[in-house]
Amino acid sequence: MMLLYKAWLESRTRFLLGLVALSGLSAVFVLFNHDVRAVVTDQNISYGEYIWRGIFKGQLRDIFVILTLLLGLGGLDRERSYGTAGHTLALPVSRWRLIAARALTGIIETALLAILPATLVPALSPFIHESYPWRLAFQFGALWTVGGILIFAIGFLSSVLFAGEYSAAVAAIVLLFGYSIATDLPGVEHYLVDIHDVMNGSGPHDVTTLAAISIAAAATIWLAGYITSRKDY
Amino acid sequence: MWLKAWRESRVRFLAIALTLSALCAFAVLFEPYIRQHQVPIPLHLREGSYTEYIYNLIYSGTAKGLYALLVIFLGLGGLQRERANRTAGFTLSLPVSRLRVIGNQIVVGTIQLAALALLPAILIPALSAFSHRSYPLPVALHFSVLWFVGGMVIFAASFLLSVVTPGEYTAPVACYLALVLHTFVAAWHPLSGYRLNLLSNMGEFQTMRWNAEHTLLQPPPLSWPRISVMAFFALLLLSAAIRVTNKQDF
Repeated sequence: MMLLYKAWLESRTRFLLGLVALSGLSAVFVLFNHDVRAVVTDQNISYGEYIWRGIFKGQLRDIFVILTLLLGLGGLDRERSYGTAGHTLALPVSRWRLIAARALTGIIETALLAILPATLVPALSPFIHESYPWRLAFQFGALWTVGGILIFAIGFLSSVLFAGEYSAAVAAIVLLFGYSIATDLPGVEHYLVDIHDVMNGSGPHDVTTLAAISIAAAATIWLAGYITSRKDY
Repeated sequence: MWLKAWRESRVRFLAIALTLSALCAFAVLFEPYIRQHQVPIPLHLREGSYTEYIYNLIYSGTAKGLYALLVIFLGLGGLQRERANRTAGFTLSLPVSRLRVIGNQIVVGTIQLAALALLPAILIPALSAFSHRSYPLPVALHFSVLWFVGGMVIFAASFLLSVVTPGEYTAPVACYLALVLHTFVAAWHPLSGYRLNLLSNMGEFQTMRWNAEHTLLQPPPLSWPRISVMAFFALLLLSAAIRVTNKQDF
């Protein structure tokens, strides 16, 4: 429990900033929809499509992706720079437990961030005499959670591979960008799912695909744990 | 001091430079391939002229967004981070003023930013010649100026936030959110006429024009008043960062 608390203390500022930004922007997208429509599209579209373009597919999803990627950063390599790695490693727990606590905290934070717009959009829509189906919103929430966990795992792995200050963040963004390009390349597209399409609902999002993404995320986190357990601090 | 500032930022700089170079090279050298096959660019980019293709993919599209995002990480500096690393005392004990310590970081960052902004202007016309295409150097340099000045504002905002916020990742998250939020503020009806969106200005959004033969997509002449305002704003943010650092107790 204390390890979870430690992981929470390390990531809470990033998480809370993300929480405030996502909830604030979700509210702005819904409550000021007439003003924000011009930012999202120049076409006359329905409320449902506007929400999809602006939130579940568009700007808000991009923000969520970057926030989740940054949530994955930190860990023992950064602690080495701060001179606290020795203290953490002296705790009577295995490195795997340290990694697991950090991963679990990050996954819970990612899920909360993913569910936030899915809750706020249907809840706030009646205030402007519109409606958005709860079921559909939670479907997007689930897709964001699964996709977000894989993106978190990419950031998590980067934090283990690149020890330099902010190098992990830059590497994580470049890795994610490279992955996004690779998924669209001819030949590769059949074997690699585009996580962005899955998250916005335009790609495959059946149970098998979501399970495969979850397994890929778990494998990435496991790889990060394996590298950490072998490192010499 | 120069070497120190360079060593602190070189991995980030080289990673960003490599990524931008790879993207420019990919866009130019694989252009026929990209247009013929399913590609990581929207469907409408597969039509149109070469200059439009480069503009949509590099100067107003993916590369510009990536540049703006990664510049945030280049701007992270100051003495606050060193306090977390417990090296602030060592740095402050050097026989130089605080102004010189962070002044060097700012100058090195500005040079790196200029190099990054120039990268597409060097690579795209040069690589285009290899693939028997041509991209006008003046247009490429036009965007380099805009990328540099726009990048300076992002760099300065990131630098200021890294000076005033203590956590390692708080500054990049805050700067990224500020970058996103400013696009909404700029689009707000009472302000939309002033063209305050930094990213739109960097990409000459909605100001590009075709030449008479409809073969070349051209930007308008550089708006020096707008560039001066952007540069002034960047200087203002950097001055604030210096002032805060001078007053901070380490």
